[in-house]
Parts: sequence; C-alpha cells; structure tokens
Amino acid sequence: MPSSTRTVFSLIIINKAGGLIYQREYQAGLRSLSTNDYLVLAGTFHGVHAITRSITPKLPVAQTSPALTSPGGSAPVGFSYPNPGVPASGLEHLETEKFRLTCFQTLTGTKFLLFTDPMTGNVDTIMNKIYELYADYVMKNPFYQLEMPVRCEAFDRHLGAWLRGRT
Amino acid sequence: MTVYSFYIFDRHAECIYKRRWLPRPASIVGKSRNTDSPAQSGPTGTGQTMRATDDDSKLVFGTVFSLRNMVRKLGGEEDNFVSFNTSQYKLHYYETPTNIKFVMLTDTKSPSMRIALQQIYINLFVEYVVKNPLSPAEHPGGVGVNNELFEESLEQFVQTRVLS
Repeated sequence: MPSSTRTVFSLIIINKAGGLIYQREYQAGLRSLSTNDYLVLAGTFHGVHAITRSITPKLPVAQTSPALTSPGGSAPVGFSYPNPGVPASGLEHLETEKFRLTCFQTLTGTKFLLFTDPMTGNVDTIMNKIYELYADYVMKNPFYQLEMPVRCEAFDRHLGAWLRGRT
Repeated sequence: MTVYSFYIFDRHAECIYKRRWLPRPASIVGKSRNTDSPAQSGPTGTGQTMRATDDDSKLVFGTVFSLRNMVRKLGGEEDNFVSFNTSQYKLHYYETPTNIKFVMLTDTKSPSMRIALQQIYINLFVEYVVKNPLSPAEHPGGVGVNNELFEESLEQFVQTRVLS
C-alpha cells in the first residue's frame, strides 16, 4: 500500500456528556486549533450528532386501517425509518474536500472521531483497533477516572506506535 | 436511489424552499403543491407531523451550519463539506458563492449528489428564479422560489435521478 492511502490526521475522544477527553495529532494536514477550540468543537459535534439522529426521515407506513391507529392519537404511529431493522444513529461519516471524518459511538455514549485522508480505506478496522486499545489501556487502567481526560502513557504510546507504524 | 427531501436556505439563514418526497404512498407526490404547507396535508397529515416538518428545516440548517463552520476551522477557509451519512440517510450539501445553501436528503446508498445540486442551482434556480423578472432579489418566506416552472422542473429533475 502506498503511504498516502492510509493517512490518519488526528483522533478526538468525546465523553458521553460532550466533553473532550482526548486529542492527538498524528500527521500534519489539518489546521491545529487551540485547546479551547477543540473543546468547543467537541461540544458542538456532540450536539450536532444528536440533531442528525433526530432529523432522520420518517416514512409513513403504507397503510394501517384507521381502526388500528389510535384515534386523535398521540402522533405518528404509522412511520418507519428508511432502513428498518437498523437503529437510527447519528452522523457516522462526513466527507469534505480535504478530509473524511468517521465517528464511532460506543454503547456507553463515548464518541471516537477519526480524521483521515479521503482516500484512506478500511477506516472501520482502524477504528476497531483504536477502541480495543482504549479498552485495554484506558478502561483497564485502575487509576483512570471515568469521563475525565485520558492521561495514560501506555495508551499514548501504543496508539502512536500503531497509527504511525501503519502509515 | 430515493430522495427524501430537499431544502434551499438563503444567506439570511431562512429556509426559502423545502420539498419532501415520501416514497411509499405514491399518490402523495402530487403536482405543484404549495411549499409552505408541504407534503403532509394528505391522509397521513396530523398537526404533529406538520410541526415536525417545519422544525426539520431549522434543524437541518443548524446541522449544516455547524458542520460547515467546523470543517472550515479544521480544513481551512476554502474547504467545504460535501456530504455526511448516518445509518438511515445521507445528506448532501452544496453552497453557492453567494451563500445560498442547497441540501438534499437521500438514502444511504446514493452516490455523491454534489454535481446534481450544482445543476439544480445552475439550470433551475438561476434560470427560473434568479432570471425571473417578477421574482424579488431576496425570497422571504419563499416568495419567488415557489413558482410553477421551478417546481415542475425540480420535480422532473429528481424523478429522472431516481429512475437512473
């Protein structure tokens, strides 16, 4: 693989309340912001993520006889999501002219934001590996306080080595 | 490919045009309907959905606006976001140099609609709205945009896209 096809610009981790708990840059390419701006970005993204889930189009269900719908009822009983069976999620991939943002939300609400080159393939694999490292070196660290900024040297080291090593 | 909805926002952050296509009950995709009371006046319409559609355009604008600013901060002034997708839909975005924003919601499998949105701007919006001598320069509340020619050709444009 040519090196340009696997470029990870940076990683941001946002806790379930929208606070920034981790931010590292791995490759130049994006403009770097001040810590304050990163905190604002994390908060904004947290909100936008929730809104993108709520604007999911609701398709009216073909038909239910009037007797089945609750009369004068509390609202659209008869709708389904475009991909029934898949729970509605917030933003997952965002594409711009210069980068691609992939967001992975864990079951507990923590969000991992990965900024990569638009050409980078296999982002899901990269994301899974990051989550694995997070589970191993952050969640299993007895001194880590939940929802607080991540300051785990081993996590930094392994993540850095892996993300830089694969490029 | 399915198109769910389409919005135009002017530079004052106002929604000047919105249109929803509801794929299942095919009869709802009627002829030139007044855009200010969209889609939902059909059999499925309840007060609830009416309000929801009105709020939708504001939420869409907020999302697009925040993401655009975020992208510009990170990628530089000339960067722009093209689309994003969730597990349920994909949102396409195009902004003209005059800050008119075109937004389209489609299904997740659709290809990039950037060119299509650009075509809607160039071939439909400019031709039928901007060049219309009766239409005002600004479009508060959708005045001037909701003319028959524009709506009909938009309808046609989307139909051909969906079929292709």
